[in-house]
Amino acid sequence: MKTDETESGTENVCSLSYLSEIMGGKKNLIKEIMDVFLKQIPEELQCINDSVAKADYPIVKSLAHTMKSSVSIMGISILGPILQEMVDLAKEAENIEKIKGLNLKLNQICMRAISEIETAKHSYV
Amino acid sequence: MIFIYSKISEPSANTQKIISVNTKNQINIFIVDDNKVFTLALKADIEMAFKNMFIKIYTFETGESCIERFRRVMPELVILDFYLNSKIADAVDGIRVLDWIKKENNKTDVIMLTSNDHIDIALESLKHGASDYVVKTETQFKKINYSLLNLFKTREAKTEARRYKRLLFVLFFFVLIFMAGIKVVQMFAPHGAP
Repeated sequence: MKTDETESGTENVCSLSYLSEIMGGKKNLIKEIMDVFLKQIPEELQCINDSVAKADYPIVKSLAHTMKSSVSIMGISILGPILQEMVDLAKEAENIEKIKGLNLKLNQICMRAISEIETAKHSYV
Repeated sequence: MIFIYSKISEPSANTQKIISVNTKNQINIFIVDDNKVFTLALKADIEMAFKNMFIKIYTFETGESCIERFRRVMPELVILDFYLNSKIADAVDGIRVLDWIKKENNKTDVIMLTSNDHIDIALESLKHGASDYVVKTETQFKKINYSLLNLFKTREAKTEARRYKRLLFVLFFFVLIFMAGIKVVQMFAPHGAP
């Protein structure tokens, strides 16, 4: 599945072609992973938001690192460099304001991704 | 023993690999990673790549839950992430789980998963007895499948070597019996008999 256009006319943040490729196009498996992602990502965002608010660098680093795998599987390549920067900054335990800015972008992109995956999921039923 | 064909997912070449497996032996694989999306995708990918093999995959989100199940299943292979503490801050890390696995059953092969900014962990895991390591990148699943294929081949070669060793021993035993039989016949045969 190629990156297509959203209703608003902007480019999608998700490209499900990688997921489709590794799942051999099996709709039931793709849908199962989408469901897990849709359940997991809001929980992870909540945790990362709390950790950023508390400037808990080790947790921010750990969560951003974990999120890299799932966003990569869901083809949200735009988040890769953002999460990596968050990991790097959290590792150095510095620049919480920069981390907050990155976290804001992370939340916005994840919300768009959730909406896109919710829509795309209907074609995998 | 039968020979079966298993297709390793490789978009460019799509090559067929020949793997020999013992139909009596199911291969149990543990995947330990605290990212459920990752474990599910990896599980599905392995099942597809080795769909003709008798593989059972168990997934765990923590090292502790893997350890708890390990003794009952005694898996042949464990795919283990180093970072296992994103949800539980004081959860054990991959190296500690690796040490425990190797102490419990040295024959279990462990593939360690690391991120590219921690190559030192990959090397450390080899020192602790991991059979291989895979750096998490975009091609991670393909690399894991190749690593699994190599480990399956190595296990198969070891099984074959053990089989030939047993066969050689049996052959040697029969030759020994045969020679002893000849000696006994020679000893008890009447001298000067026509």
